[in-house]
Amino acid sequence: MPTPTSNTGATRAWAELLDDDVARHLTLEDLARACAMAPGWVTERVSQGLLQGDQTSGSWRFTSTTVIRARRMARLESSFDADPQLAALTTDLMEEVTELRRRMVQLESALKGL
Amino acid sequence: MEFKDYYKILGVDKSASADEIKKAYRKLARKYHPDVSKEADAADRMAEVNEANTVLSDPEKRAAYDNLGKESAYRAGQDFRPPPNWDAGFEFTDHGDSAGMDSAAFSDFFEQMFGRAARAQRGAGADHGGTASGHFRGGPPTQQRGEDHHAKIELDLRDAYAGAERMLTLRGARLDDNGHLVNEERQLQVTIPKGVREGQLIRLSGQGSPGYGGAPNGDLFLEVQFKPDTRWRAQDRDVYQSVNVSPWEAELGGPIQVTTPGGSTVEVNVPAHWKTGRKLRLKERGIPAATPGDLYLELHVVLPPATTDEQRAAYSNMAKAFAQFNPRSAQ
Repeated sequence: MPTPTSNTGATRAWAELLDDDVARHLTLEDLARACAMAPGWVTERVSQGLLQGDQTSGSWRFTSTTVIRARRMARLESSFDADPQLAALTTDLMEEVTELRRRMVQLESALKGL
Repeated sequence: MEFKDYYKILGVDKSASADEIKKAYRKLARKYHPDVSKEADAADRMAEVNEANTVLSDPEKRAAYDNLGKESAYRAGQDFRPPPNWDAGFEFTDHGDSAGMDSAAFSDFFEQMFGRAARAQRGAGADHGGTASGHFRGGPPTQQRGEDHHAKIELDLRDAYAGAERMLTLRGARLDDNGHLVNEERQLQVTIPKGVREGQLIRLSGQGSPGYGGAPNGDLFLEVQFKPDTRWRAQDRDVYQSVNVSPWEAELGGPIQVTTPGGSTVEVNVPAHWKTGRKLRLKERGIPAATPGDLYLELHVVLPPATTDEQRAAYSNMAKAFAQFNPRSAQ
């Protein structure tokens, strides 16, 4: 991939939005590397239903959401020696807390404007 | 460079056992984990705690760190330069204990002592174990893909409609021809195409660590977060926008002008007898894509302040006209 230089002296990088089509989803190896885990760690959690993957034409593909979730689960498992089910449950709760906090900020702002 | 007292950070004694270090780390991780903590400086404290744990939970790194402390009594915060050959005789192996931690989360102190130096020595190999391991010294060099980097990038929702240009500053290190460590900072101008969504990853191919032995460079992954905005929020490709309306617009209905996050002004017909909680959908006015999201208008009734005699009279007339209306009856 050529990396042209912009007129500011900085390298210009081509940004690829993942997920927009199946070809832009990450592979099993990509996801494993993102979590610093072996591919077997990923497939085990997919088979347990803790991570979502798409197995089209024989190879696994994963979306951005799964990458972020898997990295969080890997961190919980390694930091706390957490059981995979427990790490997934904690991750579910973290995702929910994040969403609720976001909604709360939004609602508080809306209320202030009234 | 500031000396880091990892024992003090974890709140343990220098003679602490591996189990005590683990317990201390977990206690602090619960307190400062940025996903759950309410502490203002949670992210910084968590990075510090992670770093201390990475060193003290690894017998090899801990031994080298302890050895450093024996030679000179460094104190936390004191200006520090690593003495020559401080690591002689120690071999560092990655155990994957930094899984999921962003490279940027480590302090200069750690990077100098255990991070950049180790990566550069072994040819910028993966510093996150699990799939790969490396040695600080010794062992024949092998072909190894450069490590991926992960970071977050904050954008405005409007950037998702129009695309954006961002300048990123990346820090790294390499060995020069004489084998000396050279810290490098480089700037990356990134063109972010329109259509980006919250939580989506952007891949900058080849912008991670350099590969070794002819293997390709790693990639840089940016996780997109939108800046909080009181006007709107996004959910996947759908966008929810707050729109203030007057009481007569809400009740009588009629056309109103609305500026969308995309910057265009559209005329929307508000149906009569508006009820709180109803949304108006503007099809395909959400985040652009092959299948664009929708824009939902959430209407909020705003009461006009009565500051003149005439306006106060208008409210009094309204009270007379709606004498039977009791807003508490629906509660």
